[in-house]
Amino acid sequence: MSRLRRREALWFYLFASPWIIGFVVFLLGPMVASIYFSLTDWDSFTPPKWVGLDNYRRLLTDDPIFWKALWNTFYYAAISVPLGLILGLWLANLLNKGVRMRKLFRTLIYLPTLVPLVATAMIFKMVLAPSGPLNDLLGVVGIPGPSWLLEAAWVKPALILLSVWGAGGATVLLLAAMKGIPRELYEAAEVDGASSLRQFWSITVPQLTPIIFFNLIMGLIGAFQVFSQVYILTKGGPNNASQTMVPLLFDQAFSFYHLGYASALSWLLFAVIMVFTLIAFRSARRWVFYETEVR
Amino acid sequence: MSVRAFRATPFSYATLIIVSAVLCVPLVFVVSIALSSDQTVNANTFTIIPREFHWENFTRVFSTELPMQRFLLNSVIISVGAVAGQVLSSGLVGYAFARLRAPGKNGLFLIVIATMMIPAQITMIPQFILFKELGWVNTFLPLIVPNFFSNAFNVFLVRQFVSRLPSEIDEAAMVDGLGFFGIYRRIMLPMLAPVLIAIGIFTLTATWGDFMGPLIYLNDESKMPLALGVQYITSTSQALQAPPWNLVMVGSILLTLPMILVYYLGQKYLYEMDISGGSAGVK
Repeated sequence: MSRLRRREALWFYLFASPWIIGFVVFLLGPMVASIYFSLTDWDSFTPPKWVGLDNYRRLLTDDPIFWKALWNTFYYAAISVPLGLILGLWLANLLNKGVRMRKLFRTLIYLPTLVPLVATAMIFKMVLAPSGPLNDLLGVVGIPGPSWLLEAAWVKPALILLSVWGAGGATVLLLAAMKGIPRELYEAAEVDGASSLRQFWSITVPQLTPIIFFNLIMGLIGAFQVFSQVYILTKGGPNNASQTMVPLLFDQAFSFYHLGYASALSWLLFAVIMVFTLIAFRSARRWVFYETEVR
Repeated sequence: MSVRAFRATPFSYATLIIVSAVLCVPLVFVVSIALSSDQTVNANTFTIIPREFHWENFTRVFSTELPMQRFLLNSVIISVGAVAGQVLSSGLVGYAFARLRAPGKNGLFLIVIATMMIPAQITMIPQFILFKELGWVNTFLPLIVPNFFSNAFNVFLVRQFVSRLPSEIDEAAMVDGLGFFGIYRRIMLPMLAPVLIAIGIFTLTATWGDFMGPLIYLNDESKMPLALGVQYITSTSQALQAPPWNLVMVGSILLTLPMILVYYLGQKYLYEMDISGGSAGVK
């Protein structure tokens, strides 16, 4: 290697050193440590005790709350993510029409996503109170509203409602992508007499599949890691009806100091996220359309 | 040519009006409750359109037994530190990955991409132990310092951004005798402004609203940022006594307003990033 190239390589490693050091100290090291912790029984005050795979065995065969949390997390992700995407797509499509005051509508729809999660949780604690505004409204139409966050049957729908309030995030992304769809496609369809619904399904949706897919992946990963809303609004209750993976992990680690058990839990969470991401990527071949692809 | 898919019907307007109204109702309630007196809030007689205007709630919130102004200041300190860290480090690292040639670079970049898939929960416990050993628990350091080591997503953003700039620019600077750091500082940095501002905005929103980090690391009331403090108001009120909802909502407004302001000032940079590629503009 020439002197110049060596110098350039040296500068590369110098410039990249923040990331490299951060990777080793804050990611690689902790990951290795986490694998070790997950194989021990440890409360952080006494030395860790090696237990092999016992933490994993207990989680999978001996801990009904883990399975409940896993099921709740699935339930939350499986409904909130597609619902948010469908709503986002529908709103983006409306905004993409030549509506007047589009900027105003776009801002109003996007506004909820600017509210920090803690504030969102506070707002929904108030909105969903047993005698709060939502139940007042339901009362007007003659429906006796449930005690949302206090009832096992309604607490998950309540959390999903909170997440759907932020559908504006997807709306803005999808709207930006819609602007990039070539107009000729629509004009050709128009000549063929396609209805607006037909144009939506046969042009808009297929053209957007890459960005829908991206949103689906990011949304699923985020939903599996849901924490603040659950922790603030329900602490997983009532009777673990809203307990999800990360709040459970947090409690095990920082309330009960079961650091080994919680570490094992974090690896199971990672495995679940990986499996779902892989399934999504697998399915993508069938429904995601890329411009350069010839079928 | 007029296309049916883009034709707005009365039905589109009706839907948009109803949906935006429904989405904004909770926010209108927030303002109304923030302006209500204690009696109105306790009696649950507030209305969606405010009937009373107790602006003094906005000053009262600073004179409760909780140190609100301290919460606010803590949020500012943590956020400024985190933003400075990410902006300083991501630019440098991203530029290196885009432009400088070195053996092992491609392998390293694969690792950068791979790390994006690892959930933060995996490293949460060991990091806590690390910071505890360093004596950093109950200080801002665990929330600020890691940002000075950039993160994969931001490095990726900068790298993509730099890759699209013509390489003749830095080659010319090289011929003029500028070193690599000179090129970065004098030539690249000004051109990176849009992507660095976008990174600053992402980092600011993430840090300002972060709940879990402060929950893990900060125990003292005097160290808490606003996001934790607002929640603290509700959790410290007596068991059978309702929290002072008007003050909680004032706190929520204080927590939200900076985000609206940042979005308003920064939206032109966010939209300048290549959103359609799907790599930017994601919270």
